[in-house]
Amino acid sequence: MNEKLRYWMLVLPGLAVMVIFYIWPVLNIWGISVTEPAAGLGNYTRMFDSRAVQVSFVLTFRIAAITTVACLILGYVVAYTIANFAGRVRPLMLGLVLLPFWVSVLIRSFAWIVLLGRSGLVNDTLIGAGLIATPIRFMHNELGVLIAMVHVMLPFAVLPMLTNMRGISDSYMKAARGLGASEWRAFREVYFPQTLPGVFSGGLLVFVLSLGFYVTPALLGGGRVMMISEYITYQIQEFLNWGLGAALSVVLLLATALVLLVAARFVNLRKTFLERSS
Amino acid sequence: MDTTDHAFKSDLAEIAAEKYKAGTLSRRGFLSALGALGLVPFLGDRAVAAPTELVVCNWGGQASDILRDLLGKAYEEETGVPVRVDGAGPSPGKVRAMVESGAVVWDLCDSGAGSAIVMNGAGVIQDIDYSIVDRAKVLPGTDLPFGVGNYVFSYALAYNPTMLPDGVPETWADVWNVKDFPGMRTFRKSVRGQLEGAALAMGVAKDEVYQFLDDEGIKAAIAKFRELRDNIIVWGSGSESQNLFLQGEVAMGNIYSTRGYLLKDQMEPGSFRMTYAGGVLQPGIWVVPKNNPAGPEAAMRFIATAQDPDLQVEWFKAIGNGPINPAAAARVPAELAAWNPTSAENVAKQVIYSDEWYGRNQVSAEELYIDALIG
Repeated sequence: MNEKLRYWMLVLPGLAVMVIFYIWPVLNIWGISVTEPAAGLGNYTRMFDSRAVQVSFVLTFRIAAITTVACLILGYVVAYTIANFAGRVRPLMLGLVLLPFWVSVLIRSFAWIVLLGRSGLVNDTLIGAGLIATPIRFMHNELGVLIAMVHVMLPFAVLPMLTNMRGISDSYMKAARGLGASEWRAFREVYFPQTLPGVFSGGLLVFVLSLGFYVTPALLGGGRVMMISEYITYQIQEFLNWGLGAALSVVLLLATALVLLVAARFVNLRKTFLERSS
Repeated sequence: MDTTDHAFKSDLAEIAAEKYKAGTLSRRGFLSALGALGLVPFLGDRAVAAPTELVVCNWGGQASDILRDLLGKAYEEETGVPVRVDGAGPSPGKVRAMVESGAVVWDLCDSGAGSAIVMNGAGVIQDIDYSIVDRAKVLPGTDLPFGVGNYVFSYALAYNPTMLPDGVPETWADVWNVKDFPGMRTFRKSVRGQLEGAALAMGVAKDEVYQFLDDEGIKAAIAKFRELRDNIIVWGSGSESQNLFLQGEVAMGNIYSTRGYLLKDQMEPGSFRMTYAGGVLQPGIWVVPKNNPAGPEAAMRFIATAQDPDLQVEWFKAIGNGPINPAAAARVPAELAAWNPTSAENVAKQVIYSDEWYGRNQVSAEELYIDALIG
């Protein structure tokens, strides 16, 4: 047995688990989408005819897009600060970025319910300060979903950008300043273009993860902000509509693949997903 | 199809945890409720119940404890046979599997009319012996040949008067009147007990609700929800509906009467009220599996014992289940009478849940309903 083959043998158990418990069931799901309740593309035509499905897809992409933009803006500032000015408190700031990962998404979403409710902390404070007379509706709508999702997704935006920024030597900026560029111009024309790979990686990561998000929208959306993953759950669990649910998940997967395909033109995918720790 | 509201049944189980937290349920009671909830396999410690006991199966939680401590004790005093309550949830599938495999453990099951029809069709339940069980001691219409009423719950209009300073909703038409009654509303994330309110809001008489809800009527009722949807937060579980009121997220809504019964004690005085006007009243049904271990007579006797009006009142006081025996209403303490879904006065205001209608229309209506709420 040559050496290469021996290493493949080591991978085999993992591969088998993957094929038997993941790839095979997923293929089955695809099968269900064209066989239940009747063979053919009935589920797909039904899906494209359904206004609710369209609304849910548009909503899903809108929320994912807004979340991505918000995470990039907030995350950029954080990453920039940590990379360039944090100094000795850098480990602490990095820790604060990572801290939310130690708490489950479910708990964090419930925490937002405590904060954003009609009689929640935020509304109580605003009313107490005399800024508003009646509570603002921060949740049970799209706004609540967005607030909580930006919070959940922020680390996914910060980390790739931070990795990228820490790899940028400060001699470029120094050179630009030395040649007479203003600080803003040096940032805009020298530093910022170098951070674009990180921005794209972070944005892509957040966008793709947001597309399939379930817990946060389900808890903060008041049941009416139904993103596509919740809609799928509903079709399968409540209506036993395996066919339509499966067809929806195929379309979601294809849509995500399409996003990645388009993104591949701008982003080094290998770097984004495989070498994030580098 | 099975039209029984299993979600409601398991909702009673959740109430146990709340009672425990509030200190009204002992630790032992809570643990046994957890066991009853299925953390202990439903065949439990032995596969076949000894003939010297009677096993009643319901849906777990507080409801199981009350059944055991109240009805079970009364039955034991009367017959000397101890009662064990299994909270595993006697869904038609489980009962059928049990009967067909020949290992019947349950003598009596807390079910619903829709499930009873399904189980009777499958030939896995026995006819009720009306020489032992008294037809006069249940709400008219709940004395089916193969099942008989045990208790009642409703979908009722609940509201928070403190959030409605300019007047409170008395009817479903008021709930749809956003201008005069502002604030968020909550409805169930399912058509069960919900479309009826929309039909009433359109001026349909309460006895004609289900005739009205044909294909066209369903569309019209769902259009009403589409019209109201920006003011709607939906609830999925009973505890969710309770939370929405507790946190002041909604000013009014359509919730289980048993949750309303809890809220009246949990919310600040004057900040919670409930009316049965336009409510939807749904009876639970006892069924007896074929070849039940203790024999048919013992099971029938238990049903008869549970019909006792005083026991029915105690049952209502403990958990908010409406008495099935019309005679019990008069014995409900005056301060609680308004909360009883089966007082003559409240029954007269309500729509009686139609299992037949749900069997025919629920699936298609459900999808239209969700689609209307989201898009």
